[in-house]
Amino acid sequence: MIATFFLLALLQIKVPDAAQFVGQPQGVPLSGPRLEEQTLAISHELRCPVCQGLAIGDSPSIMASNMKAQVRELLERGYTEEQILSYFEKSYGQFVLLKPKFQGVNALVWILPIAVLAIGFVLVISKAKKLEVAPAAAAPEEPVDDPYLARVREMVEKP
Amino acid sequence: MNRTVLIIGIIIVAAIIFVLFAGLGKDPQHIDSPLIGKPAPPFTLKSVNTGETIDLESLRGKPVIVNFWATWCVPCYEEHPTLVANARQLPNVQFVGVVFNDTEDKINRFLAERGSAYPTLLDANGKTAIAYGVGGVPETYFINPAGVIVAKFEGPLSTEQLQKNLAKALR
Repeated sequence: MIATFFLLALLQIKVPDAAQFVGQPQGVPLSGPRLEEQTLAISHELRCPVCQGLAIGDSPSIMASNMKAQVRELLERGYTEEQILSYFEKSYGQFVLLKPKFQGVNALVWILPIAVLAIGFVLVISKAKKLEVAPAAAAPEEPVDDPYLARVREMVEKP
Repeated sequence: MNRTVLIIGIIIVAAIIFVLFAGLGKDPQHIDSPLIGKPAPPFTLKSVNTGETIDLESLRGKPVIVNFWATWCVPCYEEHPTLVANARQLPNVQFVGVVFNDTEDKINRFLAERGSAYPTLLDANGKTAIAYGVGGVPETYFINPAGVIVAKFEGPLSTEQLQKNLAKALR
């Protein structure tokens, strides 16, 4: 990374830096297995912009591999997960986040499944209660004034 | 009870049909850029064809068209003549090509074969493209004289589309 920095300085090349978007790093610079682990974890939270619903961690595209390399570099510099996700969101919008934020229209993604489940649960319970009540309501029998039935009852009940 | 279930069912189905219908004709790859109305991310990159370094901030004062492309991108071949022709006709507009994940040799060969009318900068690791939220190439950003991004166009530009978006940078 340091070599890259000096090479860019030598060539007078300046690419847009995360600090311009999300400020200075607020975490601890990572290295070794922890760096690889965290790079992989964040790569599965970012959507590949040229694929259909794939995370950059799962995509073989050039753009995804550039984004993954940048995630790794930002972690090496001490940027936190929140800062890195925010950096990509500022360029690509919320589209790039595979887990949408609980705000605005996106909140519906979280609320709707729970609301539909709750409505279904209430409907099932109310229907079940009615089914329980129905046989009880049908139980009391009206005395039937039928001479034939009276005769049958008399024969059955006769000792 | 059955009537209530029917009404709820109709509402849910109508909502789903509305959402699907609203999405018809839209490009599923299209991403609304959050950078529209924001200052263009600054960069200083080396021009492959002229050898000089171009600083975006030094171009303030005139509209800038930043076109991201690559020699491995097929639609970029289709778009290139349009950009070159318009760059020659519009001397007061600064055209800048930014190529990512490519090599200087391939870019120079492309420009030698197909012509060149503006600086073509190499974004070796794609960081500039990421900062601009580039999804795929070609993709073009229109920047007004104050350095603010006013429009983004995805795909190969026609002259009509170029002029329509450029008008936003001239307002």
